[in-house]
Amino acid sequence: MTTVNPREYVPKKDRLYGTLDALILKTLSGGPRHGYAIAKWLEEKSGEALTVEEGSLYPALYRMEKRGWIEAEWGDSELGRKAKFYRLTRDGREQLRRETAEWKAFVAVVSNVLLPA
Amino acid sequence: MRRALGRPFRSLLGRASVEREVDDELAFHLEMRTRELTVGGLSPSAAREEARRRFGNLDEVRKECSVLGRQREKDVRRVEYVAEALQDARFALRQLARSPGFALVAVLTLALGIGPTTAIFSAVEAVVLRRFDFAHPDRTLLVSERWQDQDGGVSAGNYVDWQQRGTGFDQLAAAHWDSFNLSEADMPERVLGARVTWNYFTVFGARPLLGRTFDEAEDQPGRADVVVLGQGLWARRFGSDPGILGRQIRLSGRPHTVLGIMPSAFDPLLGGEQLWVPVAFTPERKAMHDEHYLTVVGLLKPGLTLARAQAEMDGLAQVLAREYPRDNQGRGIHLQLVSDAIIGDSRDKLFVTLGGVALVLLIACGNVANLLLARGAVRAKEIGIRAAIGAGRGRLVRQLLTESAVLGLLSAAAGLALAWGAIHVLVAASPSEIPRLEQTRIDGPVLAFAVGTALLSSFLFGMAPAWRAARTDLQGVLRDGGRTSAGVVRDRVRTLLIVGEVALALTLLAGAGLLIRSAFYLQRVDPGFDPHGLITARLSLPPRAYREGAAEVARAFEQVVEHLQQAPGVRGAAVTSQAPMGPGGNSNGLIPEGRTRELKNAINARLRMVTPGYFATLGIPLRRGRLLVADDFAGAPLVMVVSEALARAAWPGQDPLGKRIACCEGTPDDPRWKTVVGVVGDVRSGGPTREAGPEFYLPITQVPAEAWDWTRRTMTIVARSEGGDATALTANLRAAVRSVDPDVPLYDIATMEDRMRASIAVTRFHTLLLTIAGAVGLLLAAVGIYGVIAYFATSRTQEIGVRLALGATTRDILRLVAWQGMRPILAGTAVGTLAAAGLTRLIRGSIYGVSATDPATFALVAATLVVVGLIAAYIPAHRSTRTDPTQALR
Repeated sequence: MTTVNPREYVPKKDRLYGTLDALILKTLSGGPRHGYAIAKWLEEKSGEALTVEEGSLYPALYRMEKRGWIEAEWGDSELGRKAKFYRLTRDGREQLRRETAEWKAFVAVVSNVLLPA
Repeated sequence: MRRALGRPFRSLLGRASVEREVDDELAFHLEMRTRELTVGGLSPSAAREEARRRFGNLDEVRKECSVLGRQREKDVRRVEYVAEALQDARFALRQLARSPGFALVAVLTLALGIGPTTAIFSAVEAVVLRRFDFAHPDRTLLVSERWQDQDGGVSAGNYVDWQQRGTGFDQLAAAHWDSFNLSEADMPERVLGARVTWNYFTVFGARPLLGRTFDEAEDQPGRADVVVLGQGLWARRFGSDPGILGRQIRLSGRPHTVLGIMPSAFDPLLGGEQLWVPVAFTPERKAMHDEHYLTVVGLLKPGLTLARAQAEMDGLAQVLAREYPRDNQGRGIHLQLVSDAIIGDSRDKLFVTLGGVALVLLIACGNVANLLLARGAVRAKEIGIRAAIGAGRGRLVRQLLTESAVLGLLSAAAGLALAWGAIHVLVAASPSEIPRLEQTRIDGPVLAFAVGTALLSSFLFGMAPAWRAARTDLQGVLRDGGRTSAGVVRDRVRTLLIVGEVALALTLLAGAGLLIRSAFYLQRVDPGFDPHGLITARLSLPPRAYREGAAEVARAFEQVVEHLQQAPGVRGAAVTSQAPMGPGGNSNGLIPEGRTRELKNAINARLRMVTPGYFATLGIPLRRGRLLVADDFAGAPLVMVVSEALARAAWPGQDPLGKRIACCEGTPDDPRWKTVVGVVGDVRSGGPTREAGPEFYLPITQVPAEAWDWTRRTMTIVARSEGGDATALTANLRAAVRSVDPDVPLYDIATMEDRMRASIAVTRFHTLLLTIAGAVGLLLAAVGIYGVIAYFATSRTQEIGVRLALGATTRDILRLVAWQGMRPILAGTAVGTLAAAGLTRLIRGSIYGVSATDPATFALVAATLVVVGLIAAYIPAHRSTRTDPTQALR
């Protein structure tokens, strides 16, 4: 059981961080992956539209691991090299659910403003 | 499971591992990207460069990840530590539940130590440590006159001079206590009040609950008919009616306007007064440097040290001694914190008692250590297995100490329950002479003390077994199932435990023994009069009703005595300005004829103004000359009767009869010589604990008129009952007073035996506490000795079996086993005697009629311990003689 330390809580107004976190969590909901695989998956899913600097992925992963949303383990990669695999924890799954719901609400509000029926 | 094994492994690699992991992970990413780009057609070097470009700032990312990773490591380690501690605690609880007998004995033993220690600490906290309810407790001083090495009251003249010339104080206030006849709603009542200067409240930073206190203008003669009531009196007599403000109430026959109500907590000097009126010094009073009756308190200027202020007042005292040599020669000024003055010697006495119960706690710790050692032997195998499967030595010690801590905390809970009960008994039995003791309660600091004490104790008793377990030779334990050669060392530890416990118990018992011997002494000591069947009560005549002065006042008291003497059941009656051990009283400096009229020639002696029947009523024996008689009336030659102590001090080696002495009145030209007509036996006026001092007796018909002001026309009636039942005389006392003046109440009614008891109540209280501590300590030590010897006997069962089989007699075995116990008992007795000889000096202030190293007490206590130890050792030794050799050797 890991609890969120309020000091580390990323304020919601920082949508980019929150969104990256949510995307990573979503990526991991399909099963454990290493960092490179996460980057590739994001690339493919978004048609490279969402590609950020690949490096920024890692601090996000470490932060979420520290927060207990994901956990990591070294294992064999497809090329026989050791790689660090991340997987969702129960807290992470819960966080993904929360982020998705918030995103939905956010989109709904913005849509109401930008695209009035 | 993977989690559980993975983490310690990684944390073992330490800090560097986090960085290496980050590097590996990032390198893997770059390599994968490079490989992909190469497959896409780029040259290896171009691919590497492109991968780096797409990655962004590698150093930045690496640094950020390392910091986050390290923070996470730390969190994990902390969580793990707590989890392990909880796991250990749960395990410890299961272990204890598995052997409830051991758990119960250990917890009860420790509770017997922690409970009393906590209870006494709570008393120390209430009396000594708790902050005084003043605005500035660290600057609030009691300022006394010091004469002949004794602190005393202050004359109004000196107070005024100090206030005008002393520069060390923000405020300097004076007070004296007085009782008032409150005759509201036709229910006359004697109420204790204080006459105070207007700034008395300011010194303590106290504010009224309602209304206001009096100001400087009201603290003047003629304007001073105002009063501030205490909340208690206000509630009791006026139903807490706020409408009382501004109304007038009658105090000692005069109307006073009620200005305000002080909260019930306002009793800074613990005088118990219920109302305050302005002291309103007259100009004559302000010039008067005699009559030292005021209590002076001051608020030290901020930033000024007590020592500086004292030095300054020392200088002022010398100036005042030169200006008023007759009254101030040899008179110093003494400053001390009000808090120190109030706490007084209670601090030392309570800390000694706390030390006593702490010794009991140490003995209890010894016993529990022994229990744990015995359990350690049983559990050696379990611990060996844990070590074998990889539990580190530190981890094992931690687990065993956690077990001790759990035991300690359980004991703290039991001890607190015990303390809670003990505090109730303590408060109920507490003599009122110990300030603030009635405020004892279990609060935050007490709770913290109990838990802290428990944890400290668990460390003490848990250390030896844990250390031993951690050092255990693994293979030996597993092979022999716990029976190892470590037994020899273990026996030495147990032997030392006995030595320590016996020494501690002896120290305690020596202290208790000395106090008990003093109690017997105090019971036997001759007070100089016969207290049985005597009753005393006080009576104050109001000033206005007796306008004709001294003669009329004296006459009224004589009439009370006459009425009483005729009452049935009364064997004798008299009035006195102060009964032995009673309140009130004055002392005067006496100058025998032939010495110069200087302060240094004065003999400080206690004055008693009495009616002639006083000596017969109290049973004070006449040694020489004659007693006072009815013919010593006003106008007759002035006479006095002196005590033997005064006769010795004034005329050493001479016949005091016919000598003349000046006191209390007169001028250098007319010293009003009084002739000594009789010498009576000494009386211990301060109770059995005080030596008898010089005293003199004047007939109330011949005292100077001012004397009635010194005593505020307050006298104590003493009467002796015919049958010995003093309380039966209460009705007679009331009837006699009513027949003389129906408006004045009788108060402070107490039998002389009660007064005697009260005078030694504090001593008895501490004796009781230390005796209980001593008894519990002895009991625990006996149980401890028994436990260790029983263990020795059990562990030597085989050897004893062999010896019996080889023809040893029962006596041989008895000697063998008992001697193994007796050696440490004797050693402990020796150590304890030395320790006690050093420590009993701490209670020197509480023991009477016996020296602090009284050989008889020490011998008796040592003998008690040896005998109790012998019995405790004999029981298991005797049991071992019944060992069946065939059973033992199987």
